[in-house]
Amino acid sequence: MDHFPTNWGRPRNDAYDAYNTYPLHQRPSNAPTHDKFADAVQRTQQPIVTGTSVLAIMYKDGIMMAADNLASYGSLARFKSIQRLHAVGSNTVLGASGDMSDFQHIQSLLDALVTEEFTHQDANTLGPAEIHEYLARVMYARRSKMNPLWNALLVGGFKDGKRFLAYVDLLGVTYTAPSLATGYGAHIAIPLLRQAVDGRQDTLTEEEARKLLHDCMRVLFYRDARSLDKYQVATVTDAGVDISDTIKIDTTWDFAEGIRGYGAQTQ
Amino acid sequence: MHAFAERFSTNGAAAELRRAKEILGEDDDVSDVMWGSSGGFGSLVNGVPKFAVPSVPDPTSFLRMHTDDHADPSCRIKIKHGTTTLAFRFKGGVIVAVDSRATAGSYVASGTVKKVIEINPYLLGTMAGGAADCQYWETYLGIQCRLHELRNRERISVAAASKYLSNLVYSYKGMGLSMGTMICGWDKTGPAIFYVDSDGTRLKGDLFSVGSGSTFAYGVLDQGYRWDLTDEEAQELGRRSIYAAGHRDAFSGNTINLYHVKEDGWKFIGNYDISEMHYNGPGGADGYGYDVRVQGRTSANPPPEAAAAQA
Amino acid sequence: MPDGSFSHPQQRQFNPYSDNGGTILAIAGADFTVIAGDTRQSEGYSIQTRYAPKVFRLTDRAVLAVNGFAADGNMFVKKVKQRLEWYRHAHAKDMPLRAIARLIQTMLYAQRFFPYYVYNILGGIEEDGSGAVYSFDPVGSYEREACRAAGAAQSLVQPFLDNQIYFKNQAAAPNQSHPAHLPLPDVLSIVIDSFTSATERHIEVGDGLEIYVVLAKGRSAQGLEGARGIQELSTKSDGDRVFVIRRELKKD
Repeated sequence: MDHFPTNWGRPRNDAYDAYNTYPLHQRPSNAPTHDKFADAVQRTQQPIVTGTSVLAIMYKDGIMMAADNLASYGSLARFKSIQRLHAVGSNTVLGASGDMSDFQHIQSLLDALVTEEFTHQDANTLGPAEIHEYLARVMYARRSKMNPLWNALLVGGFKDGKRFLAYVDLLGVTYTAPSLATGYGAHIAIPLLRQAVDGRQDTLTEEEARKLLHDCMRVLFYRDARSLDKYQVATVTDAGVDISDTIKIDTTWDFAEGIRGYGAQTQ
Repeated sequence: MHAFAERFSTNGAAAELRRAKEILGEDDDVSDVMWGSSGGFGSLVNGVPKFAVPSVPDPTSFLRMHTDDHADPSCRIKIKHGTTTLAFRFKGGVIVAVDSRATAGSYVASGTVKKVIEINPYLLGTMAGGAADCQYWETYLGIQCRLHELRNRERISVAAASKYLSNLVYSYKGMGLSMGTMICGWDKTGPAIFYVDSDGTRLKGDLFSVGSGSTFAYGVLDQGYRWDLTDEEAQELGRRSIYAAGHRDAFSGNTINLYHVKEDGWKFIGNYDISEMHYNGPGGADGYGYDVRVQGRTSANPPPEAAAAQA
Repeated sequence: MPDGSFSHPQQRQFNPYSDNGGTILAIAGADFTVIAGDTRQSEGYSIQTRYAPKVFRLTDRAVLAVNGFAADGNMFVKKVKQRLEWYRHAHAKDMPLRAIARLIQTMLYAQRFFPYYVYNILGGIEEDGSGAVYSFDPVGSYEREACRAAGAAQSLVQPFLDNQIYFKNQAAAPNQSHPAHLPLPDVLSIVIDSFTSATERHIEVGDGLEIYVVLAKGRSAQGLEGARGIQELSTKSDGDRVFVIRRELKKD
């Protein structure tokens, strides 16, 4: 029995110090060493073709979501007209960042789910809350199998007069808020979104919402090296899901002329 | 065992668990004792319960990576640890004494832990190591001891009970269980103590102490131990030994729980605050540590002779 | 160490755990229990949402607070509720509190080798009508206590509770002794003070506060009548009763 409490409750590592020869404060690390055979099993251990941020907000008539059209391959801007917003049934839209092949798998899961529900012909349709719950279970189940779907997803919708907006990611973590963003957007766009949206969900007009997301997508394009100046916006209102055509971000780079003090140009 | 070999091996703990799952053909964690007519009647009677194992090549190193380690404070899951426990046999039965501190890293997670687990009126188990491991498996042992009574119309012997536990933890050897326990009781053979730990060790003996404070406790215990101690002397020795460990070992402390096992079962003697023992002692006027250190050191507190001379 | 045994593996491996911050606490009174948690959910320095409940009503006499990894916590609460519902169908009554505590132990221990990264505090009323708090570690060791704080700010809040509830390091006035149980209004103000202070000193605590109050059967709602933002959640008015009080905390 190892009498040092800091080593209790954890598997022994017989490779090191089986006889407690080290004083307590300098016991050797019990961290696992690299096992060459661990490479024998390959799962999604890292994303390959990836999408960057997704933004979503609640507004007066429903919810609005935006994501750019880029799928990156590492630092390479590999696919520049990828759609990352996906309609699920007629009340829900799903926005995905992270691994695009895992996203496509999720799309096929959801399409199958919606078809299955349709074949019941019981006048019941899946709303955004149900889609989100389903995705949360799938994502959590996959993480628990140590085989995650490497995405951060936003689910937005409008059904029975109620807005719905929620997040779920590769760990199965979920939450809901009036404004949400994944990836870089969670750091750069969220402050702007919260300032404009939180507490004003019931009065924010569609035009204001569109402008807000446009401005945020521009800010992201300026600072997120994995983003693109082409994006789409989805709205879900009582009129159903609408995913826009690609929108081009208007940018000006004049300010770059005046920047001094970092980068290659220091004078 | 080697991680790769283990995944395809047909023996060992991981394979056992895998096989049990396949045979039962049950969902991961929904068993039919959880619902229906037997719902809520507990799931422990149907053999050894099943455990979820992470599906990684080496589940043991997974657990080692994510559970707490002072060498890697970023490990998030802090499992509570128990610390100083002792038990000894003497002519009047068995004395069991433990402290009550649980630590998670350097944080004192609790100062009121019950480290003596009352398995049944004749059996006590002590807790050192993972608190959950001890609590859970000694409860489980209690169930098995009761089933033994029902099947055999007599109480289980301390030897059999402790062997049941040691065989059980041995089947999980290497998977991260951590228990250092003393199974104490009174059976047909008289008072008995067995030390059982998660490595699979099982020892019969007269005197044991387990935990990081065990060395301090042994020091006091060994110098004061005799077979023919009176009940009061024996209880005082147990108390004084745990006090010593609580005083000198940072991972032990808070309070002492004292039990005495006799022919008619165990009896709880009392709970004693260790700093109270330091200053005032169990009687209220004979502190174990303070007076002996400071008496006569200041003019406000002169030794008795000097005080008499002054008067 | 020259053999590199101190270094950690460089291989990038999927980490199934995260820490979503926040703090929970519970205090038992003579015939009531208060269970509270903040509503901030964060990851690293990002606040994911300002309202994600961590405290859940299980039955009319049991409330569970969960803290740690949010996905594990939500899943665990879901499974506990499912087991309690099955129990209700089999026995036509709610599971007693001490049985729920043991159920939670076995459910946590079932994940001994792939633990839920969740600290649970269960509060409510025992069958004898007394207030009770049970606290758990992630793999199921548990203990009945009078008070317990867990989560990000446990090391800030627990010493305060030790002092205010257990009267640790306090000497009673001459010829007086410390009360064994505090009255409800005192407990409520200790809970609110704990959270406002934890919000000041811990970045992962704040936004909102949900205080659940469980009252033993037959106890009047005295001490609650003045509370702002109170809502009753019990299904019957003649048994044990559950209330929730919602308050704002600082959002910076």
